[in-house]
Amino acid sequence: MLKRQLMKAAAIGALLLTSSLAAHAEDVLAKAKAAGVLKVGTETAFAPFDFIDAGEHKGLNVDFFEALGKDLGVKIEWVELPWDSVLPSLEAGKFDVVAGPATITKARIARYRMSAPVAEASVAILKKAGDTSITKPADIAGKAVGVGKATAQLAQLQEYSATLSEKVTVREYVSFNDAYADLATGRVVAVANSLPNIAFVAKQRNGAFEVVTPAFGKKTYFGFIGTKDDDHKALLDYIDNEIIAMKKDGRLAKLQEKWFGTTFDTPDSVPDPAF
Amino acid sequence: MTLKLFTLLLEAALSTLGISLVSIAIGFVIAMLLSAALLSGKSVYILPARLFISFFRGVPLLVQLLLIYTLLPVIGINVPGIVAAIIGLSLCTAAYQAENLRGGFASVPRGLIEAADVAGFTGAQTFARIRAPIAIRLTFPALVNEAIMILKSSSLVSVVGIIEITKMAQDLASSTYQPIPIFASAALIYFVINSAIALLGRYAERSLKGASA
Amino acid sequence: MMFDPQVIIEKLPEIGSGLFVTLWLWIAGVLGGVVAGFVVATARRFGGKIVNAVLGTIVEMLRGTPFLIQIFLLYYGGPFVGLMLDPIPCGLIGLTVYSAAYYSEVFRAGYASVPVGHVEAAECLGMTRSQTISRIQIPEMALIVLPPSINLAIILLKESAVLSIITVPELTATVSAIGSQQYAFLEAIFILAIVYWVIVELTDRLGRMAENRLSRLRFSKA
Repeated sequence: MLKRQLMKAAAIGALLLTSSLAAHAEDVLAKAKAAGVLKVGTETAFAPFDFIDAGEHKGLNVDFFEALGKDLGVKIEWVELPWDSVLPSLEAGKFDVVAGPATITKARIARYRMSAPVAEASVAILKKAGDTSITKPADIAGKAVGVGKATAQLAQLQEYSATLSEKVTVREYVSFNDAYADLATGRVVAVANSLPNIAFVAKQRNGAFEVVTPAFGKKTYFGFIGTKDDDHKALLDYIDNEIIAMKKDGRLAKLQEKWFGTTFDTPDSVPDPAF
Repeated sequence: MTLKLFTLLLEAALSTLGISLVSIAIGFVIAMLLSAALLSGKSVYILPARLFISFFRGVPLLVQLLLIYTLLPVIGINVPGIVAAIIGLSLCTAAYQAENLRGGFASVPRGLIEAADVAGFTGAQTFARIRAPIAIRLTFPALVNEAIMILKSSSLVSVVGIIEITKMAQDLASSTYQPIPIFASAALIYFVINSAIALLGRYAERSLKGASA
Repeated sequence: MMFDPQVIIEKLPEIGSGLFVTLWLWIAGVLGGVVAGFVVATARRFGGKIVNAVLGTIVEMLRGTPFLIQIFLLYYGGPFVGLMLDPIPCGLIGLTVYSAAYYSEVFRAGYASVPVGHVEAAECLGMTRSQTISRIQIPEMALIVLPPSINLAIILLKESAVLSIITVPELTATVSAIGSQQYAFLEAIFILAIVYWVIVELTDRLGRMAENRLSRLRFSKA
């Protein structure tokens, strides 16, 4: 009796599965246009790309996707998640693309479709202003350093730590914001994050933090991230073209100037990342 | 801590309150179904109900929410964050409410059930008119406690993209660099809401008692 | 997405260390909470009106706010008032204080369940207050407080997953980090669910066994 019911449940499950797979076989770009909505997933603790300023979502990503949405004729619907849930949710089909942005790395290229670069992502150290014990990246050896969970910056910090005289005690925070907060308290002596991010934070918290140059990691770039399947191809092609078009007509440089206070010379694509 | 920030927290409190109340109500309905299954005397119903209660009491809500949000799509069930949050909280509270109700059902006097039997009530009628009302009245204080628990647990639903008090407090704390006033205000809002629930619960309990006397 | 348990199996030592941190924080937090909760309940019962009111308010505040918010306040707010705790001590203190609030209520109900006549009889026999507590009140309330204590311990195990948010390297933090590194998201969530579920079931069984034994002990003496 129970066995028969189980079989029945399994059959229903299989039916649901196949029907949902069939429903998925649709071009995402066409679907977004038809619905007038493009769903974009991101984490809102990654200033100046995405952050919450007194309750309002702001940043380079907001401006960029706003522009993209206008060109495409769709509204942007943001889905805000902790970073370590963003990629699983992308794979689960919760949204069409991830703003992030995410560092373009070998591992990610193997699994995801990365867009054309929108900024440089090389990793450097943020320290408390006036901390004379850290004047170059290698000075973090043997000390506690904060970094975001599930990030490429974490992977780079771990790789760099292994080359130092003494390993770094890596603290993984749910968001970089928490890591900055703990830099302020002094529980960590440094935060490792990409240059555009920490430069912005140092400027915002006027005088509290300082960036330690040079970058310790390899030269990397930020891009948006999507899945590799055929359904998403047209959308990600469109995003790539939009980035390159905005680069050519100077809109991207303007956005970089607005949010980073400087512009980056980014290549049109990163086929073979250094990390 | 400005008035504007406090207002933002209050706005976020509406989403905390909405999600929690809806989940408690749905959870209560599921808990009644679970109780009916447990009292049915048929193992086809009892075993799944027990498994359900054991699972949702045994797994942290954080993990349950991620399961519902990112694992269910594998079998074709893809729901938005708000639905995932409500499903997660409802199923979790259903398991706890069913456990509470079990105690209540156990204390319904046997004589009443037998009397209903003699009076020609069917099993379902006895459940709906005799056993359930008495069990609910007996376990009402536990239900109020559970409501407070769920309201607190809703602080975790930001993992599926919902902005409620706790997430808003986190965002504000990191943009203003003032964790103490902001988290303390968030705590205060939770405390006030929960105290209100407890007070209402006591008031309702008294009227329930009055009704039975 | 395919399910591949292999990536998780390779990381078993790391998962084991996360599990170890979860288990010892949980057990220490519960034991600390039981002791502190008992002290609070006793102080509220015998310490007079003011002590009762003050402690009662603190207990209500701890029970009326989410554990996550308490942990944020302690971890990120603490340093502003000179209380700088590392993640693990912070987690341990937070968990202990939170559980103490709940356990104090369990023991308060326990005290209330002991018939006044028994306490009065003990006093007439010339027992001191501490003798009355340890020889009459504790043994009599034991059976009453055991089931809610086990239930509470289970809730606290699950609450301890929240400590991953302040970088405590416990089970949830460890497994979800492995999941992200290996892109084994589903496997990670699955493992977490199973491990917590097993611990909770075991705790529940142990609790029921203790309950049976205690009631037999009690009624055989009577």
